[in-house]
Amino acid sequence: MVEDKRLHKIPDEPVEYPDKHSNDFRGEVKEWGFHFCGYDWDPAEEQFKIYLHYDQLYYWKLAEISKMARGFLDGELWGTQCPKCGDKFFPPRVNCWNLDCELEKTEWVRLKPEGHVHTFTIAGWSGKSSLKRLPFVLAYVVIDGCKTAVANELRGLDPWDAEFGMPVKVVWAPKEQRRGAITDFWFEPADGWKPSPMTPEKERIKELCQPVYEWVKTLK
Amino acid sequence: MSRRVCIAGGATTPFGYPMHITPEAMIANCVVETQHDIPDFHLRDIQFMVYSHFSVHFGKQLCPEWIVHDHLGLVGVPHFRVENGGNTGGSALYAAFLAVKSGMFDVVGVAGWETMDNVTQSQGSEFIALASDTRYEALAGGIYPIYYAAMAYKFMKEHDLREEDFALAAIKNRNYAVDNPKSQWYRGEYRKYKRDLTVEDVMKSRLISYPLKRYDCCLMSRGGAFALVTTEEWAKKHSDGKYVVIDGAGLSSCTIRAGDRLAFPGWTERYGEGYPDMTEFAACRSSGEMAYKMAGIDFKRAYKEIDVAEIHDAFSSSEVQIYKALYWCDKENIKEFLRERRTFMEGDLPVNPGGGLMGFGHPVGATGIMSAIEAYYQLTDQIPKKHFSSKTYVRDAQTALVNSHAGTGTSISNFILRRP
Ligand SMILES: [Zn+2]
Repeated sequence: MVEDKRLHKIPDEPVEYPDKHSNDFRGEVKEWGFHFCGYDWDPAEEQFKIYLHYDQLYYWKLAEISKMARGFLDGELWGTQCPKCGDKFFPPRVNCWNLDCELEKTEWVRLKPEGHVHTFTIAGWSGKSSLKRLPFVLAYVVIDGCKTAVANELRGLDPWDAEFGMPVKVVWAPKEQRRGAITDFWFEPADGWKPSPMTPEKERIKELCQPVYEWVKTLK
Repeated sequence: MSRRVCIAGGATTPFGYPMHITPEAMIANCVVETQHDIPDFHLRDIQFMVYSHFSVHFGKQLCPEWIVHDHLGLVGVPHFRVENGGNTGGSALYAAFLAVKSGMFDVVGVAGWETMDNVTQSQGSEFIALASDTRYEALAGGIYPIYYAAMAYKFMKEHDLREEDFALAAIKNRNYAVDNPKSQWYRGEYRKYKRDLTVEDVMKSRLISYPLKRYDCCLMSRGGAFALVTTEEWAKKHSDGKYVVIDGAGLSSCTIRAGDRLAFPGWTERYGEGYPDMTEFAACRSSGEMAYKMAGIDFKRAYKEIDVAEIHDAFSSSEVQIYKALYWCDKENIKEFLRERRTFMEGDLPVNPGGGLMGFGHPVGATGIMSAIEAYYQLTDQIPKKHFSSKTYVRDAQTALVNSHAGTGTSISNFILRRP
């Protein structure tokens, strides 16, 4: 094996994971694999349609970014920093992005749970699993002087009150609900922040949000 | 590098959601239509096939190109599939270009499709979001329109634009699609309107993610497309008068997460601090520069030299952002550029007369090829035959630009096509 401090260590098998929570949030989800649910037939056009359901459990091994996920459970935000150039990252990069740093291995650094909104949007539509929480603000936030912005939900305000550059803090989900994922936290306005008065643009956004609120109420 | 590479023919299927035709039948139909245009073309001419297909999730079928390939009877002919997000079509075309340019092959087929109507729209959005970094953005509830909206909103603020400025691209492309019998807009929702869409219609459509409304967004589609990429010698012999030369080809890349491009060293060293931020598509600028250089076009004069363009209008806002990334306008004149409708048919650089992704549709693996074929039809004067009328025909166009775009601007290709 080549010796180089930039190489990431691969644990010797097996990794035992003695602290098991594999079904804590499983709910009613089952693995079906291929499951043919039914079919339709159109005799006039001679068209046949099959209803196929396919579902599978994945095992995402976070490996060298595991520290980030552990931090989420513990309510700590961990990013990485390049010891050569000083660039700091969240989401963490495990090697520096600077070509002159030659894949320097980054170091873990605890981040202050605060930042500012770089840009944002008010979502009125989303993926299947996020429809019920519409409308929501998705903000790209620069946390604690990082060179990157991370996308996450901005809560604790009316969607039309969000602002470019506004200061925000990291807020953690209740401990028992955390699962080591980015959704273990969200952003809220920093303490002391007050929304600015209504403007025609904010009125416009508010008006666009109203039918979304109504529509979400109709979802089962 | 003296060998000239040409598009000698090609075709698209109609696009729709839902639409009832298998991938292999879509490509077979495209080959048949190509043979009507260039009767000399035989499947035996094909020396290499490049397949263009984005997401195996839609079909629940890995390597679906294997089904298409043997269906066409092409066993023994080398093949592979290119997958590069929304730029899959452009990237497949790029691969075919390299294959002919290198001297390895004289005749290469490029065939692409997507079957997004196999799932609901919201499930489809979530599948596509799997091409964002699923550990972060997709989990946070983001889907592509949301990422694009966050980029568009900042762009809108920094350029003092209004929602109505973006809406112009949305109505332009849909209204041009009405002249295109294969377009999804014409075949679908237009039947409800039976009239041109207005800026007001866009403003009233439902919120997708501010500042984007439903009509600012492209369509999810089933559809296929095929292009024949050949040497000039082959094209002249078998498709005389019906071929174009690929004079420039560029492909570039950017970060997967849009939030990672505020200060990326690779961009800072090329374009200076703070570029592209989350407002511009650096991979579009850099691949555009590559294509312009190869075609001998001065960046600053690109707008004057290009006569027609088919670009990746996944969103009305991204069409506008692409104008700027390709040097057609700058921060100072972008507002006038948009409001003077310079990219409409009556303007000096008509964009997306084929309907674009918002009007024609966006079956991902077919999209970039569709754009190339529409541009090819323009430069070979086949539009009056392929569209309903000459309303969307750019007469005497000599030079066309084709743009294909992936991720949040993560991979982008640009091509310059010219009459021989
Ligand atoms: Zn570094």
